[in-house]
Amino acid sequence: MSENNVLLRVQNLKKYFPIVGGLLGRQIGAVKAVDGISFDIKRGETLGMVGESGCGKSTAGRAILQLHQPTSGKVFFEDKDLTQMSGEDIRQLRPKMQMIFQDPYATLNPRHSVGKIIGEPLVIHGIMKKGSSELKDRVVELLELVGMDPVYMRRFPHEFSGGQRQRIGIARSLSLDPSFIVCDEPISALDVSIQAQVVNLMQDLQEQLDVAYLFIAHDLSMVKHISHRIVVMYLGKVMELTERNTLFENPLHPYTQSLNSAVPIPDPKSEQKRRRFILKGDPPSPANPPSGCVFHTRCPLTEEKCITVEPEFREIHPGHFVACHLADEKGSSMIPEQTILASVMS
Amino acid sequence: MSNILEVNNLVTKFYTLDGVVNAVNGVSFDLEEGETLAIVGESGSGKSVTMMSLLGLIPMPPGKIEAGAAFFSGDEGRRDLLQMSPDELRDVRGGQIGFVFQDPISTLNPILTIGEQISEILTRHKGMSKDAARRRAIELLTQVGIPDPELRYKAFPFQFSGGMRQRVVIAIAIACTPKIIIADEPTTALDVTVQAQIVDLFKRLREALGVAVIWITHDLGVVAGVAERVLVMYGGRPVEIALVNDLYEHPQHPYTLGLLGALPRMDARESERLVSIKGTPPDLLLPLRHCPFAWRCEHAFDRCWQEIPPLITVGEQHQTSCFYDLEEGGPRDV
Repeated sequence: MSENNVLLRVQNLKKYFPIVGGLLGRQIGAVKAVDGISFDIKRGETLGMVGESGCGKSTAGRAILQLHQPTSGKVFFEDKDLTQMSGEDIRQLRPKMQMIFQDPYATLNPRHSVGKIIGEPLVIHGIMKKGSSELKDRVVELLELVGMDPVYMRRFPHEFSGGQRQRIGIARSLSLDPSFIVCDEPISALDVSIQAQVVNLMQDLQEQLDVAYLFIAHDLSMVKHISHRIVVMYLGKVMELTERNTLFENPLHPYTQSLNSAVPIPDPKSEQKRRRFILKGDPPSPANPPSGCVFHTRCPLTEEKCITVEPEFREIHPGHFVACHLADEKGSSMIPEQTILASVMS
Repeated sequence: MSNILEVNNLVTKFYTLDGVVNAVNGVSFDLEEGETLAIVGESGSGKSVTMMSLLGLIPMPPGKIEAGAAFFSGDEGRRDLLQMSPDELRDVRGGQIGFVFQDPISTLNPILTIGEQISEILTRHKGMSKDAARRRAIELLTQVGIPDPELRYKAFPFQFSGGMRQRVVIAIAIACTPKIIIADEPTTALDVTVQAQIVDLFKRLREALGVAVIWITHDLGVVAGVAERVLVMYGGRPVEIALVNDLYEHPQHPYTLGLLGALPRMDARESERLVSIKGTPPDLLLPLRHCPFAWRCEHAFDRCWQEIPPLITVGEQHQTSCFYDLEEGGPRDV
């Protein structure tokens, strides 16, 4: 993928939610859900986004699609800045940017037939007429695309299992032939054997349709499986961004290292001999983030500088970005073996 | 080592307006003293209902335990949990059998301090005085890794994070030095770094207390790290029981094989296509007349549609309920 192949560029995107309080309901603070994130997504690429709950990954996905009005920052989609566009202009662009949600139960209207759900975007955007045979053909085509029998178009959402509902949600998002889909935890609500079906389907569709995904999930092993590159978020900020294999073989941020080591591997032999580094404590609140590096309260390597100065998000190797004072070309922010052992003993 | 729990042919059904839900259709397993047994299955596999049945926590009606026995070797000798009166069971629950559920916020009482909730167990089961219970509760909070235990004793559940709340629930579970802890998806609601903390805590407590653990989960990754033996369930039936290494290296049931193939490996460089199991989990409203997995199984042959496969011993401490021999590639002679 070449440089000029960038489909979406996010620059210093911020989304704060006001906290109101007191008798007059004045703003007394802000939850910094997304606090200055930057990255690119290329055409046909899957960018994975991982982080723990409350790190702002879902908000980031919505702010990119302008479903949340960003507080500041820019989002360029095909070189057009979405944050400067009017609502109507964004609506014109919507067909190109779609979303798949976590809960397939809540995202399908229970009173609409599957055919109506999948065809509705086409009608709303005036591409096809309601009740036309053309529309019906397209719905049949979409159902077949996601591996469902077209006879299901007359049925209603409650007649389907979770995995099938997620397929319906995917078919709907594909109806307008998008070039970019934000997938917000698309498989978290599904059983393991069904997760694999949906992930395989998403990969097949990407190959056929050349669509780019922003794949948001907390399951690091699944994100690694599906993504080309991965963004690691913590408390509204990007900690590290790089190719999937680099992220697992040469992670430069201590947070990435601890995430890697916390993910269980489904193999007892590797589990038994694995070096584990277990982070202490819980993530702090995004309403009151720590000074300096937001990770310093849980980082085993914290130095004076980390508490006072916020690290810059910089490119250490080509395509490998990290926000850590201690990372350099040699990758010296590696958590030393002794720390790992000590934390296991404690 | 002797068995602390022996479950034989447990059958639990729910009589609902839609029909009879066959939640558990004949589950048998043993638990040795001090061992960790993982029960793995997807939603609707009957793994939680099995445990709830043993503890008398099934709402009746609509639930009904139709058959089976569960012999627990507790302080009063070997007794069948399913034959105990509600009062006797209440003494066992929280005392000799502790438990930890998925969601710590709904397990804890929101209007009592966590200290009161831990002390309550101790005064109820151990007959401790208020003062002694308080001292023991603070000890327990220290043991499960809660900082400033004396201060936190007076805190309410909402003042804790998810991981800390789960530690409190664990403190309650171990308060009366139980023989068994039943943990139903104890880390599912937690973030991965916090999950690692709780898994680590469990391992340390198990060593310190010598308590047997039944760990119910859908996550084969966590199982690989915590369990000694694994019971895989599907459609309310046990499909495979094996030692953990055996199960991952030589799965003998097509469902186990499928589940393992459906998981991506963090340590794999190239991502291979995931093996997906076609179809969807079984409809428990249909009475079981054949192998519950036959619908989705690529190896299913005539016999699989005619009888319910029993657990067949295929190796040392390794049983599977499948008529098809995956390693030989043909039907088994049984």
